[in-house]
Amino acid sequence: MKHFLNICIGLFLIVIQTTVMPHIPVFERFYDLLTPLVLYLSIFRPVREGTVMILVFGFLMDNISGGPFGLYLTAYFWLFLSVRWAITFLHVGDSFLLPFVVAVGVFMENLIFIGADAMFEQNLQISQIMINTVVVQVLWAVFTGPFFLMLFNYLHRRWDRWTKKMFAQKT
Amino acid sequence: MFSKKMVMIVGVIAMMAVNIILLSVFNRRYISYYRPGRIAVSVIAPFQKASSNSIRFLRDIWHHYFLLVHIAEENDALKKALDKSFEKNIRYKEITLSNSRLRSLLNFKKTMTDPALSAEVIGTDPSPWFKTILIDKGKEDGVKRGMAVVVPKGIAGQITEVSSHYSKVLLIIDPNSAVDALVQNDRSRGIIKGDAAGALIFKYVLRKHDISVGDIVVSSGLDGVFPKGLVVGQVSGVFKPKAGIFQEVTVRPYVDFEKLEEVLVVLDQKKHFEPSR
Repeated sequence: MKHFLNICIGLFLIVIQTTVMPHIPVFERFYDLLTPLVLYLSIFRPVREGTVMILVFGFLMDNISGGPFGLYLTAYFWLFLSVRWAITFLHVGDSFLLPFVVAVGVFMENLIFIGADAMFEQNLQISQIMINTVVVQVLWAVFTGPFFLMLFNYLHRRWDRWTKKMFAQKT
Repeated sequence: MFSKKMVMIVGVIAMMAVNIILLSVFNRRYISYYRPGRIAVSVIAPFQKASSNSIRFLRDIWHHYFLLVHIAEENDALKKALDKSFEKNIRYKEITLSNSRLRSLLNFKKTMTDPALSAEVIGTDPSPWFKTILIDKGKEDGVKRGMAVVVPKGIAGQITEVSSHYSKVLLIIDPNSAVDALVQNDRSRGIIKGDAAGALIFKYVLRKHDISVGDIVVSSGLDGVFPKGLVVGQVSGVFKPKAGIFQEVTVRPYVDFEKLEEVLVVLDQKKHFEPSR
């Protein structure tokens, strides 16, 4: 059931990201909406649940994106690992740290993308546009990322309550 | 032998290496056309389609709303433009008609052997009892009192008053007007006089002449005003009283005096007088 909710949220975000946001000029350089979800799964959800979802989302994104297959899987996987590692010594779930966590996550994802690009492109040059894109995405992440995490948290709690109620009624 | 930290670092490096290798392998052989890839796309695509359609639908509504507003504004502007165009169209129509009339007048002028001056009607008589018009040519243009005024359809009248730039024309339908005329078929002579009703009366036609309705009446040229052979009108009625030497003939003029706009003033009237010609 948990997976169902995550898949629904993920699908919704993918659809929004690929159909709605391109029509809104303000969100032209918005970050990958699944990044906050991956971070949420890494910080707040069990490892098993997070791993499955990261594989699913990575696979889905890789299939709908034009990049080399496995790029999103790689990005999400390393994001997941990094955050899982970070929470061993840092309380990243703290409200004050959340904006930075999302910002770092978005920055990391971008680094992986640029790194992959650099790996496959012979003469890749870091242009001003690339830098601007990363900066804008990071800024967006700082200001909006925590809200996404809070929203996911809220939805999960509501979902938990609702499913508990449902199962209680059945039994 | 190895510390836990060391194992972790080596593990991460190994994973990175494996990841990079896998990425480069997948980059060379793109596998999205494999079955799982197709499934992933077919899972997401319907939602994307639904979302895109909804967006398109909403966008269309939004655009249509603005379009309607725009259309309303455009409609107002077009209405104004239409009004202007209508006005222009009427003006052009007028010009076209005027052009056609002037062409006909010009053709008539060409067919006329006498020198003639074209003039435009600029006014009509203010009184319903008198049938005169005012034209825009006068003394300065060579117009003189008594000159004949004609139109392609026939005789219009004669100049009765001349100022430097304007002249007054007494129409043949005026009761004071008189034109020496004859019936084209049997050459019976008479005087065309106007009457109050705007028709013409063919006076002083001898009873012995057999005039019938439909006969054409033309100017005789004997009055010294109108050139010979110009059409005056068509006989519309013949009445032979039991007594008297004249018959009563009414003539319907060919010229529509209500719609008179351009006329020709025959300049060389002496020519018609000369018996040798």
